[in-house]
Amino acid sequence: MKINVVKSVLDASDAMANVNRRRMDAAGLTCINMLSAPGSGKTTLLQKSLPMLPATARTAVLVGDLQTTRDAERLEHSAAQVVQINTGSGCHLSPSQVEQGLDSLDLSAIDFLFIENVGNMVCPAAFDLGEHRRAVLLSVPEGDDKVAKYPTLFQKADVILLTKIDLAELLEYNFDRVYDDLSKINTAAPVIRLSSKTGEGLEPWRDWITAQRAE
Amino acid sequence: MHEMSIAEGLLQAVLTAANQHGATRIERIELDVGQMRLIVPDAMQMAWQVITEGTIAAGSEIVVVEVPVTARCKKCGRQFAPQINEYICPDCGQADVDILTGDDIILKSVVCDSNEDAESGANNGAKAQ
Repeated sequence: MKINVVKSVLDASDAMANVNRRRMDAAGLTCINMLSAPGSGKTTLLQKSLPMLPATARTAVLVGDLQTTRDAERLEHSAAQVVQINTGSGCHLSPSQVEQGLDSLDLSAIDFLFIENVGNMVCPAAFDLGEHRRAVLLSVPEGDDKVAKYPTLFQKADVILLTKIDLAELLEYNFDRVYDDLSKINTAAPVIRLSSKTGEGLEPWRDWITAQRAE
Repeated sequence: MHEMSIAEGLLQAVLTAANQHGATRIERIELDVGQMRLIVPDAMQMAWQVITEGTIAAGSEIVVVEVPVTARCKKCGRQFAPQINEYICPDCGQADVDILTGDDIILKSVVCDSNEDAESGANNGAKAQ
């Protein structure tokens, strides 16, 4: 026999993401999911930019990696609360892992929660975790052709951060190529060029973060 | 390889549907997969094979139908069918859309052997046991 079902397989995942979002809404915090390839500078950017937020802005980070607590250790002086989630072999954070992460945070003492997703340009893009905003990083050494190669990641971004721009000249990086590709995929997300090393562009990124709470 | 986490959710949905109809063995499932979900059919089949081991769905086949993306421009409201790497509105030239289809994974049907087959003649493709 054939059973006609017509049911979204993502219902359970999306429902869990919505539970997370409501829980964070109730706590009055803003959650930003950070997505990129491994090595694009997510952790360093958080290390450098979180201390630039106003002193009244209380921050926390959920860090996803397959193994190790290295990123959490790097961030422990930059955010008030840091929780490492090890996914084992999982290539992305799931809403239920984020739920467990939320369990181990004092949500009432957070204004901005950053989720540092597992470094991967494909799988994390496909899962809503309950975040309010998505920040996608693309570092100069990855090449100026990646927007067109991984369109879904960039299509779902609320802000796009071009990182490690201090290397642009050395690597003959073509920013116009990136902007041209983005003009076909996402014209709504602002693009911020920055370098965690030199500090260039960190202020616009900080201002973008703080503006997300004004809404 | 996020196919494995998709397969976990899929197995729950399939087993729920099968249990409701008293199925004893699942032969085939049909899945509509949105293009934006970045599912590789071969990887999906492999994940399904692993995750169904020891269940009534073991050995069953997945038929994946890819669903193209359709979108509505947030600026001017125009509905159109973007390419997965190009979301430019043909009317206003912006790439700022709400996705209408192509961003979901839908379990369409489950083909199985069932005790109900003998009792109910209403099912399409019913198989004698």
